[in-house]
Amino acid sequence: MSTRRHFLKLSAAAGMAPSVVSAQSAGAGRVVVIGGGFAGATAARTLKALEPRLTVTLVEPNPVYTSCPFSNSVLADLREIGQQQFRYDGVKRAGVTIAETSATAVDVDAKSVTLADGNRLPYDRLVMSPGIDFNWAAIPGYDEVAAQKMPHAWKAGAQTVLLRQQLQSMQDGGLVVMSAPANPFRCPPGPYERASLIAYWLKIWKPKSKLLLLDAKDAFSKQRLFQNAWAELYPGKIEWVPLSQGGKVTSVDPATLTLVTEFGSHKAAVANVIPPQRAGAIAAQAGVADRTGWCPVGPVTFESTLRPGIHVLGDAAIMGGMPKSAFAANAQAKVCAVAIVELLAGRTPPDPILINTCYSLVAADYGISIAGVYRPTNGQLADIPGAGGVSPLEAVGGLRGQEALYASSWFRTITAEIYG
Amino acid sequence: MHRLLLPGLAAALLMAGGPVRAADGPPGGPPGASSCTGCHASAKISGSVIPRIAGRKAADIVTFMREYRSGAWPSSVMGRIAKGFDDQQIEAIAAWFAAQPE
Repeated sequence: MSTRRHFLKLSAAAGMAPSVVSAQSAGAGRVVVIGGGFAGATAARTLKALEPRLTVTLVEPNPVYTSCPFSNSVLADLREIGQQQFRYDGVKRAGVTIAETSATAVDVDAKSVTLADGNRLPYDRLVMSPGIDFNWAAIPGYDEVAAQKMPHAWKAGAQTVLLRQQLQSMQDGGLVVMSAPANPFRCPPGPYERASLIAYWLKIWKPKSKLLLLDAKDAFSKQRLFQNAWAELYPGKIEWVPLSQGGKVTSVDPATLTLVTEFGSHKAAVANVIPPQRAGAIAAQAGVADRTGWCPVGPVTFESTLRPGIHVLGDAAIMGGMPKSAFAANAQAKVCAVAIVELLAGRTPPDPILINTCYSLVAADYGISIAGVYRPTNGQLADIPGAGGVSPLEAVGGLRGQEALYASSWFRTITAEIYG
Repeated sequence: MHRLLLPGLAAALLMAGGPVRAADGPPGGPPGASSCTGCHASAKISGSVIPRIAGRKAADIVTFMREYRSGAWPSSVMGRIAKGFDDQQIEAIAAWFAAQPE
């Protein structure tokens, strides 16, 4: 074993590994990745690790990535925003070229990406992981300007800090109003984790305040687990209003922080509007988004069913049973990287199995989870029957505390894999 | 054997660059393996209570997965995940991780 390990080190130092790989795969080429989030940065890095001779360019305008997972903990003062932020140094060290600019257009016929700085990047395969954009037309009164008064905080960063500041300057007794969109949207359990952690924070710092959660649907992810926890930890503090009881927000007035529903209107001291979403704008420009605003893909390589040669990953894509989560985005990206290497080498990509795990915090030391295992079935990624599911309703042996610890461990691990 | 003349040696070589090609399969490991490293770190890191599985004995990984699946060994998410894999898939994943640098 020690001899083998020693040889491994020696050969790596001598740069022999790439030559062995190149001897067997004629698959080198150019891959462009648009978007440096959980999906895109994973794809870029994995491609380079699998086939060092590939030229991999990651197009990402922000020098620092701010992670949405765990950003609800920033609202509750459990984390600093800096702990959510990652630079691309590790991605660069892995041999990926970063184009620190935006992609403005994709020319499918010429197979090139046009950048905001005017340059064009030719590609053999394109990976698009543009995340989400907001459908600003969906809620009258809610636009980018209104989001400065009623933050969405559904893209982490300045919006997260703004919502946190608003909560901190609110008078004790003020009403926090949140609105959650209809499916599908980024991070299905996210609004309910947020409501939980805001309630956690209110209980300590603004004990007279309450939270009203207006919802455009009648059911949500991990619902019974969340609702049981709310009753146990925050009795009377969170009021959830489902669609059937007038939960859908039909307009807002940012001047008065008012949210209007079909059944009435609610004036907030702090308002958090999570608007309806769609794939990041470049997806529609490239022609990979359909009329739903999201991107249909095949279940083996995640190649667009609308535009050949373009793979769509993460929140922007329609992934069958797989939810729009960071874990899923990372898992998809690793499978996609393998598929691209195989396709470029003229081989058939293997049928994958993918796992998803999503943790939510209900309090600092109270975690719950949902998991699933997926495989291609009838042209879709489908749940493997009998696998997956949520945490048990009855927790024994300190399970909730354990899952909170697993949640932070997951975040540590996945961000190290991608950005470390 | 068009790919590798000395399977053991070459497999070690190929691992030097990261999650690379196994001697007898596509790169990145058998179906399901690449998802595991979202929680079970590939590299040694601090700040995680989730154990690494790279370099662990294949037989141990198989035993854990089977016991998670049957519920004989209590777990949080692992029981739910293990139910998505049959014995053969578990064995392939275990062999893959056992061959990774510890």
